[in-house]
Amino acid sequence: MKELEHLRLLHLADSALPIGALAHSFGLESLVAQGFSTRELPEFLRGYLEEAGTVEAAFCREAFRLVSTGPRSFPAARWIEINDRLSALKPARESRTGSASLGQNFLTAVAGLGEFPVLMEALHTAKNSASVCHHSPAFGLAAGVLGLDEDRATLAYLHQSVAGLVSACQRLLPLGQSAATRILWDIKPAIIEAAKRNAECPAEDARCFMPLLDWGGMEHPALTTRLFVS
Amino acid sequence: MSTAASARESILHETSAPALRSAVQASLRLGFARDAQANQTVMTASHQEPPLRVVRAFSIEHGAALAHLHNVSGGLLGGDNLSVNISLAAASRAQITTTGATRIYRAREDAAHTMVRIDVSVAEDALLEYLPDPAIPFAGARYSQRTVIRLAERAGLFWWEILAPGREARGEVFEYECVELKTDVLALGRPIAAERARLEPKKRAISSVARLGKYRTWATFYICRVGLGERLWLELEQELRAAIERLAEPGETLWSISTLAAHGLAVRCLARHGRNVLPGLHALWDAAKFRLYGQHAVPPRKVN
Repeated sequence: MKELEHLRLLHLADSALPIGALAHSFGLESLVAQGFSTRELPEFLRGYLEEAGTVEAAFCREAFRLVSTGPRSFPAARWIEINDRLSALKPARESRTGSASLGQNFLTAVAGLGEFPVLMEALHTAKNSASVCHHSPAFGLAAGVLGLDEDRATLAYLHQSVAGLVSACQRLLPLGQSAATRILWDIKPAIIEAAKRNAECPAEDARCFMPLLDWGGMEHPALTTRLFVS
Repeated sequence: MSTAASARESILHETSAPALRSAVQASLRLGFARDAQANQTVMTASHQEPPLRVVRAFSIEHGAALAHLHNVSGGLLGGDNLSVNISLAAASRAQITTTGATRIYRAREDAAHTMVRIDVSVAEDALLEYLPDPAIPFAGARYSQRTVIRLAERAGLFWWEILAPGREARGEVFEYECVELKTDVLALGRPIAAERARLEPKKRAISSVARLGKYRTWATFYICRVGLGERLWLELEQELRAAIERLAEPGETLWSISTLAAHGLAVRCLARHGRNVLPGLHALWDAAKFRLYGQHAVPPRKVN
């Protein structure tokens, strides 16, 4: 990958990108309230990558491929279908809304960095169809428009997802900087595996079984004290 | 091998499929329609191939029809390929249940997955209440279920599924090989709920904190009525959340509820003991049905 594309990908996956990622725990806050501990975090992240991470990677790739095969009209119906399907897979209202909020903010941020009519069309299509733009397909779509590498983009998306969860745990749990850095360092082989898994499988068939995290996301509105939006 | 383990092996061997049994391919198609004159839903079409069977539809309260799904072979065996098609015509109401738990037996080494396909269509103003007993995958079972539910304008749905960890009383917990559940609920042609679960206890620990943790039984319950607005669903989510708080037993049973992308709610239950699940589902079903239809839920007539 050329230097400019490499730097752009680093920028898009940076937690400092102002899209609101730091406001979401995606159900972890509820799990912590139930007793989830720092000790369990590495196992949780491995499971996350085997399940939800694989689904998000599949949708990231699916959206990337919408635009990566050369100039043609934007497949609006397929874009709506991708996001509707991902919405259907997210039973927790706040986590679903959170993903959609990040996706919209992400596309808006990237669209403001240059002339990217496809990204604007993606945003307008979703709005006009009562659909949304989830974060993982938004990331994949932007990466495709920018001509980045699909595998690297998927890896970057997953890495920033996991980094976000670790960051949330630093605020929820007694997890110091060194320990958090070590966890994120050690989980990288699992990230690579999750990115590769189902690379040729349609997004609709990607599998996920995370009932405890689903419970956490669905239960989050009932928490009496909340640090996070989801 | 311990005495208990020897006994278990013996029981498991006894319940394995006969060596030369060939796989069964069968279908069941049920149609329901409303007899406007009698103000009663009747079963208008029924195609049945063994082992799938419905004896008849019974008239129940509020003009609905109740049907019990039977598997006359006692359970699902490796290689079985079964399809169930349920169709509700406009303004009809049907309640469908099972006569007992669905037992998914151990598959022979060379047998394909047990496959069940369920296709449901609920027409305008119709209401389907699908209330099965738990599915119990035995040790060595390999099971795939594909469910597609299509809801038309103003169609209603109460649909639950309960997955047990195995024959707990015999010490079988997560000893099946694979349970795959692929479900899509569509309203007016757009997906509103989906599941793509694949449980393979030997490959990925079900007791992982990323999956079920210390819980063993998993249930999902969809409450839908197409066309109702987001505000009503948020209100109902709040109301049922209060009911859920009364059901929850910290450390034993977790309940949660959330609005779907549109047109409904999802309820999830994780329980250490399966006995806590059905009473909770009945309570939520009753509360939701009263809110949405002004009627109390009528539990299907059967022994359990």
